Amino acid sequence: MIGDWFASNAARIGELTAWHAALSVIPTVLGLVIAVPLAWWASRSARIYPLVVGASGLLYTVPSIALFVLLPQVLGTKILDPLNVVVALTLYSVALLVRVVADGLASVPHDTVQAATAMGYRPWQRLLLVELPVAVPAIGGGLRVAVVSNVSIVTMAALLGIPQLGSLFTEGFSLRLTLPIVVGILLCLVLSVVLDVLVHAGTRALTPWQQKLETA
Amino acid sequence: MITFEHVSKVYPDGTHAVHDLTFDAPSGRLTVLVGPSGCGKTTSMRMINRLIDPTEGVVSLDGEDTRSVDAIDLRRKIGYVIQSAGLFPHRTVVDNVAALPRLLGAGKKEARADALALLEKVGLDERYALRYPYQLSGGQQQRVGVARALATDPPFLLMDEPFSAVDPVVRTQLQDSFLQLQRDIGKTIVMVTHDIDEALKLGDRVAVFREGGTLAQVATPAELLAHPADPFVADFVGASRGYRALGFVEATATVRLAEEVTVRVGARPADVGGADPSTGSGQRDGWSVVVDDDGAPLGWVDLKATGEVVEERHIDFSGTVARADGSLRDLLDAALSSPTGRGLVAGPDGRLRGSVVADEVLRHLGRGREAEVAS
Repeated sequence: MIGDWFASNAARIGELTAWHAALSVIPTVLGLVIAVPLAWWASRSARIYPLVVGASGLLYTVPSIALFVLLPQVLGTKILDPLNVVVALTLYSVALLVRVVADGLASVPHDTVQAATAMGYRPWQRLLLVELPVAVPAIGGGLRVAVVSNVSIVTMAALLGIPQLGSLFTEGFSLRLTLPIVVGILLCLVLSVVLDVLVHAGTRALTPWQQKLETA
Repeated sequence: MITFEHVSKVYPDGTHAVHDLTFDAPSGRLTVLVGPSGCGKTTSMRMINRLIDPTEGVVSLDGEDTRSVDAIDLRRKIGYVIQSAGLFPHRTVVDNVAALPRLLGAGKKEARADALALLEKVGLDERYALRYPYQLSGGQQQRVGVARALATDPPFLLMDEPFSAVDPVVRTQLQDSFLQLQRDIGKTIVMVTHDIDEALKLGDRVAVFREGGTLAQVATPAELLAHPADPFVADFVGASRGYRALGFVEATATVRLAEEVTVRVGARPADVGGADPSTGSGQRDGWSVVVDDDGAPLGWVDLKATGEVVEERHIDFSGTVARADGSLRDLLDAALSSPTGRGLVAGPDGRLRGSVVADEVLRHLGRGREAEVAS
């Protein structure tokens, strides 16, 4: 019976997984792109920092289901439009990443920043060529949290009928079948681990200059 | 030339960091700003490349008011070296040096070739070129910092306590190799330090700051030691300034050197020629100079105390060796540190020239004073 279910649903499960991955990764990337300038702005002033970081942190407290319902009215999209999910998760990613990027930028050694300034780097050159690259380890850590949290939040979109692995939960619930639910959970877990490892590997690849900690 | 004219810096909270500062740093020379902490020396230096803007007065480079040019353009023609090097941790050594030329549009290959040449010039071996900063020692990082500051061949160089984050041995090495480099490149340099010895050693001119951001005295090191302007400067320059002033008096050919009997390791005391009563020196007291195969002095040996053969363990290494073209301070130090009271003097080739006693150095110094008074 289990084999039958898999056989008849394999293609669909693959499709749902692909959707799920896309709906998790795209908002993370967009969130990072938006968070960087906000964080830079925040990191430049001790007065702005708590405002920006505090406000973006508040975003995270808005329940996702409420956002999914609200956004179509704000954006003028249909309720089933995956764009709603992308926008909502981008907001969450921004909420998580502003603090991470701001703290990452603050972790760049003061001497390094001062040297770049004194050498005649323009502020944007300093950000792109010195501060962001040096902050990669800190930002990478935050990205891992953001992408994994997105994998989890995406499942909520099943309540709106937007296809992704969460759809297996609603399906299993309505058919009173445990199997789809278990498969959905397992695939979410696998997807989380894969994305986490990918981000981690990417961070390591970008930072050959980091002192490697010997692991015995 | 870097010129300060009535420059003041007052912070919003009313603190006077620098007060009515007027002096200049001549072209091609190294001017050191020195003083106790909180005297405004670093603030003054940072006003040159506009990391800090003055509240009042004018800072100009070769006659051009620094506020009339874009701060970024200004900084690009002023090299900057800071205490902890401040290297880019994510770039290799060679790319740290090539960073600014690359930013200004130089090709990668060309910028790296130039960077390698510069690294050699500051005394860093080529094999470090592809390492990351964390893989270098503090002294090596500082050499990279100097090379990076020189990468675009700027006419001006600012150095903020460049050698104070390393241990004394490395510091001396860095200072010596930097002096050598400066003789070569002749940049207009302003250096900040809190170490008066470093200021006197490196500076062509030394500007002594006092608390409250005012200038106490600007003078050459020799003048500062010989004629401090007031008790503050005298005190800051330090207690042994009379002795240190000798460091700025060159030994001349008129300093009389005495001949010494030399031996090598492995020689038999019995075979060493006897004392030479005519020079009143040599082996008279049983002490001879041990030299190596090139004739360079190693130390003293008491031939009365060795056995059949002179061995390395018999050598007394306590005396310093002065160079014949060094300063009177070096000669005096050699004499004072020698177990025989006779200081060893070597020529520029490292070979032993003879010995000198403290009285001879002082007699020579006395003559120099008379000449100074007469002129």
